[in-house]
Amino acid sequence: MTLVRHRRALVASVATLVVLAPLVWFWQASLIPGSYQASSLGYHDYGGGPRLPGTTRSVASLTEQVHRTPDVRVTLTARRERGHGIDGYTLNHRSPGPTIRARQGQLVEVRLVNASVPDGVTLHWHGVDVPNAEDGVAGVTQDAVRRGHDFTYRFVVRHAGTYWYHSHQVSHEQVAGGLLGALVVEPAVASPGREALALVHDYGGRRTVDGAAADRRVDAPAGAHVRVRVVNTNNGQLATWPTGPYRVLAVDGHDVHEPGVVRDRSVIVAAGGRVDLDVTAPARVELSGVALVVGSATGDARRPTRTLDLLRYGTPAPIGFDPATATRHFTYSIGRRPGFLGGRPGLWWTINGHPYPDVPMFTVDTGDVVVMRIDNHSGSVHPMHLHGHHVVVLRRNDIRATGSPWWTDSLTVANNDTYDVAFVADNPGVWIDHCHNLPHASDGLVTHLMYEGVTEPYRIGSRNHPE
Amino acid sequence: MRTAYRVVAYLIAAGVAVQAAAIAFGLFGLSKWIEDGATVDKSSIEDASFNGSAGFSIHFITGTMIIPVLAIVFLIFSFFAHVRRSVLWAGLVLLLVIVQVLLGFLSFVVPGLGALHAINALAILVLAIVAARVGPVPRRSGQATPSGTNEARV
Repeated sequence: MTLVRHRRALVASVATLVVLAPLVWFWQASLIPGSYQASSLGYHDYGGGPRLPGTTRSVASLTEQVHRTPDVRVTLTARRERGHGIDGYTLNHRSPGPTIRARQGQLVEVRLVNASVPDGVTLHWHGVDVPNAEDGVAGVTQDAVRRGHDFTYRFVVRHAGTYWYHSHQVSHEQVAGGLLGALVVEPAVASPGREALALVHDYGGRRTVDGAAADRRVDAPAGAHVRVRVVNTNNGQLATWPTGPYRVLAVDGHDVHEPGVVRDRSVIVAAGGRVDLDVTAPARVELSGVALVVGSATGDARRPTRTLDLLRYGTPAPIGFDPATATRHFTYSIGRRPGFLGGRPGLWWTINGHPYPDVPMFTVDTGDVVVMRIDNHSGSVHPMHLHGHHVVVLRRNDIRATGSPWWTDSLTVANNDTYDVAFVADNPGVWIDHCHNLPHASDGLVTHLMYEGVTEPYRIGSRNHPE
Repeated sequence: MRTAYRVVAYLIAAGVAVQAAAIAFGLFGLSKWIEDGATVDKSSIEDASFNGSAGFSIHFITGTMIIPVLAIVFLIFSFFAHVRRSVLWAGLVLLLVIVQVLLGFLSFVVPGLGALHAINALAILVLAIVAARVGPVPRRSGQATPSGTNEARV
């Protein structure tokens, strides 16, 4: 009968609406405007601290306030070019790009020219706490440099150590494609010792050290000490282990205080992280697939089963501030849940329970002492990278750090791990705080540390795609 | 509508086959890649491209997007298809698909659950085929059948 049939069709239609309506609602709610300011999405999180109206300043005005002739001048020309068996990117026709060397305290000036990268480029100085306008994040601290254009970065390198630079425009593609290089800051008074760079990058799954897919040799007479600067430019953590005893001199550009001799342990270098190792020739520094061969070492070494725990390595030293006086306490809780991200269905990372862009913007004022609890229950490891600051690790899984102050800018947070870190908010700006497994960041594992009163003239979307 | 319902049921079953094929392709490719001298660690696996690496991407996209969307479409079609207990079948398929996606992610934390992930895949395959082959709601003049009434109440 038609009445029954009509009733049935009606019930079926209502049931369809019941299924589809929430899906459409969530889909619609996840849409991100075509272009937007980084500071316009998400919600402010004051970490329990006061909300003070800061002096209004633009990101663009937060430049290096040192006016003299640069000590180091470099021009880097970015191109889309084939190399290492992939369609990638080069700087001055090389990947990795030229190593920039400077002395502590010097003013570095880098002119970036985009010769042929269609999406545009930027350069981010990974681990160097530069002024905000020099941070090189497309859509946050500058506009991406379009083809035929250039941009000049100026900053003082105040901390000796091992750093690297890479594009922060479509970074999940451009960094994997090789738009990167090393930045080494030597102490103001040059140390007489030998040193070697071991920048590790995978091109389409092929591991290289300083661009070579084979072991790299460094001359050193037996018994000589060599400082090996290991840079992990990949999206996952890297295990490195020298044959023979060694020390870890520095982590993420900060010296370890009184590092002890390490034997039969590997060191885990976070994605984006660096370690400086002191090895004695002859030795092989294994880099999980390639090696840096120091002196006349032969053979290779199996990876030790144990790893060095930086929470207990070295001896304590003053950190220059008291975390107990923190006025802001933030939580950066990483999870994962099904839903929509910008209209795309899938399983997406969440920060404090919500996917991007519904994420907390950690809002601080200059001079604040900040404690942040990073916990990860997402099922994956996340190398967390805060721009413009170094954080010191206080606790992991509520176990206090008892070794050297562990300063880091790229911290591997394994699944089910919790880290308490602290820092002083001493570098005004808008600083992204994201996962350096760059496809994760492009899937929304990114938020900001923002200083009160800092305004942004740039927009994400249209031609700026930082992740 | 009954045809659409059946087609989607068979598409879900085919999706399970694609999943099995993709993951086997990926795992054998990974094995050969290692045999040929690659060193695998967290870094290299993130950006790896070898003969077979596409299998992992296909498995991920099919499993987290295509099959879940098909399962939802299947449920909607089941409201309109005059098939015996169609809503029950489609609801079960969707439930198992949700369980399957969860197992897929939890297995990275508890690898033993991967065994259930494989068995549940077979359950989805069987269920989808059975659902596709169920006969139509028997017609009685002027009266909905008991199963038809059930269907309408869902």
